[in-house]
Amino acid sequence: MSLFLKIFLWFWLSIALVVAALTIVHWSTQTEPLVRQWQIFVGEAVNTNSQTAVQIFENEGKQGLEEYLNRISNPERVNAVGFFDGNLQQVAGNEISPEARNLATAALASDVVEMHRLPEQTLAARKIKSKTDENYVYVIQYRRPQQTTLLTEITNRIPQILAVIFAAGLGCYGLARYLSSPIGKLRKATKKFADGDLHTRVAPEIGNRRDELARLAKDFDEMAERIESLLSSQKRLTQDISHELRSPLARLNVALELAKQKSDSESTAPIFERIENESNRLNEMIGRLLTLSKLETGAPDFTKSEVKLSALVENIAADADFEAQAKSKSVRLLENQDCTVLGSENLLRSAVENVLRNAVRYTKEATTVEISVAKRNGNAEIVVRDFGGGIPEEELENIFRPFYRVGEARERKTGGIGLGLAIAERAVHAHKGTITAKNAENGLIVEIRLPMAA
Amino acid sequence: MFMNQILLIDDDEELCELVSEFLSVEGFDIEAVHDGAEGLEKALSEDFDLAILDVMLPKMNGFDVLRNLRETSRLPVLMLTARGDDTERIVGLETGADDYLPKPFNPRELVARIRAVLRRISETGDKFRGEKIQVEDVEISISARSAKRGGEDLNLTSVEFDLLAALLREAGMIIKKEDLSETVLDRKLSPFDRSLDMHISNLRKKLGARAGGEERIKTIRSVGYIYTLDT
Repeated sequence: MSLFLKIFLWFWLSIALVVAALTIVHWSTQTEPLVRQWQIFVGEAVNTNSQTAVQIFENEGKQGLEEYLNRISNPERVNAVGFFDGNLQQVAGNEISPEARNLATAALASDVVEMHRLPEQTLAARKIKSKTDENYVYVIQYRRPQQTTLLTEITNRIPQILAVIFAAGLGCYGLARYLSSPIGKLRKATKKFADGDLHTRVAPEIGNRRDELARLAKDFDEMAERIESLLSSQKRLTQDISHELRSPLARLNVALELAKQKSDSESTAPIFERIENESNRLNEMIGRLLTLSKLETGAPDFTKSEVKLSALVENIAADADFEAQAKSKSVRLLENQDCTVLGSENLLRSAVENVLRNAVRYTKEATTVEISVAKRNGNAEIVVRDFGGGIPEEELENIFRPFYRVGEARERKTGGIGLGLAIAERAVHAHKGTITAKNAENGLIVEIRLPMAA
Repeated sequence: MFMNQILLIDDDEELCELVSEFLSVEGFDIEAVHDGAEGLEKALSEDFDLAILDVMLPKMNGFDVLRNLRETSRLPVLMLTARGDDTERIVGLETGADDYLPKPFNPRELVARIRAVLRRISETGDKFRGEKIQVEDVEISISARSAKRGGEDLNLTSVEFDLLAALLREAGMIIKKEDLSETVLDRKLSPFDRSLDMHISNLRKKLGARAGGEERIKTIRSVGYIYTLDT
């Protein structure tokens, strides 16, 4: 889940929870006192009314009591009211419910107002002792004032709640944007930088904030600046070195040729030959080091185009076969499916060429190096297999290291420089592909996997 | 004996001395200059048969010298490029170098290249004097060493011109890469040598495709090239 969504949802959710909690608190603080007030009212009313009722009954008899009871039983508030004597025989009033009658029994045994809450009504009963020491019980069934439930409270306030949550949503959206957008920009810039665009800077895009994120952006830019200048100076250095090393080599070559012209002795010819070979090797090494350093300083600044691997491999295989024939070895293209890869033809060629020539170098005489191109799992897979006896299992992952040699003497004799596979690996990586080596029976298999063009 | 006058433009004075000595033994007359501006001036003087031009030069780099030179002169130019630097090679050939040689070079190779370029120019002058070849809208004049498409000058380098001439003579037929390398570049095709492909690709760019978007020069995989006829 993105940071934006996380911030947004968390803040929004907590605001919604706060709104819900507030609604509940509001409802309960409003209803609780109401209930208590109602009880006090009922208690007081029962106290006064019951005493008045007893006085009236004793002074005016049953007729007067009925009138009085009639007067207080306002139908909006009172469901029924009853007056009982000490034996719980009803003296006056309306018919009362069985629960009220039970309450009357309880009241007869106590000295306070007995109350009982039912969902719809509140029952209250009180025993009164008259001056003549007679016991009476006054029972009343009050209609409860309609109390709002939580649900109705919520339903009543839906528009307000929605408005608050919507406004909170807007606020949270803004906040989440504000916090996460510079991080998104930083992330994009970092990715671009990692992909080799060393000119990437992010501070101007962040705008004029002054918080930690803005400082982070500024720090990123400083770091990018530094890396860019380091890399470009390293690049310049390798170019200068290669130029400076090559100038004396160029002179050496010409001087050597002059020496050959002037020397007529047969005996010096092999020595001159040797000097020339070494000079060529030195030159090739400089060239490859330069290629390697270009690939390693990142910035795969090659222009991408669609490269037909099948045609490329066919060419290289034909050339390698031609070269191999001279050493009584050969190269055979076993399978060549049509694969197109997006990338640099030169880099891909040098990758395949280095792997294939390496295989030709190590395969035993009179054997055939096999190469194939096939589509596998959306990748183009180039497999090169030689019959040279393979290499020790524990050395397998080292063979792509620059100047790594499995067997020093053997490598020297075969004329390797120790950079071919390193260059191949870097070139393949620059295309977001993989290269692996594994032993097979009597030989080595190198597999190059490249993502195919869509 | 007629001595070919060669102009060597390279800032490495010691190398120039050695090359001059070597080439004079091979029968060339060498004059060396060590910066781009002076090199351009000399090259424009028409006293020379060929110029050897280094890329890295003080005052004016090799590409700029070549670009300025090509505005008025068709003096054959052999470029010395840094080995392994494809962009230098491509830019050099596109700007109008006749051939290139990666530095450090083998002096024998240098002599062979110089001879090849010079021979190409003199040979075509004698053998096919007055010959013109026309295939559809492309017309070349061997003696004038000019190539036109629809009356418009194509501005080909001498290698590109010879390639086009060879392809047009056999238009509609496949020419093997090996043969092209020997007749045009004057050397055997060696494995992993891409210079022929590069010259062809430059020539394609200058020729342009047919109206239908079809390339005039087609590659026949692992065999060679063919100049196709419009069907």
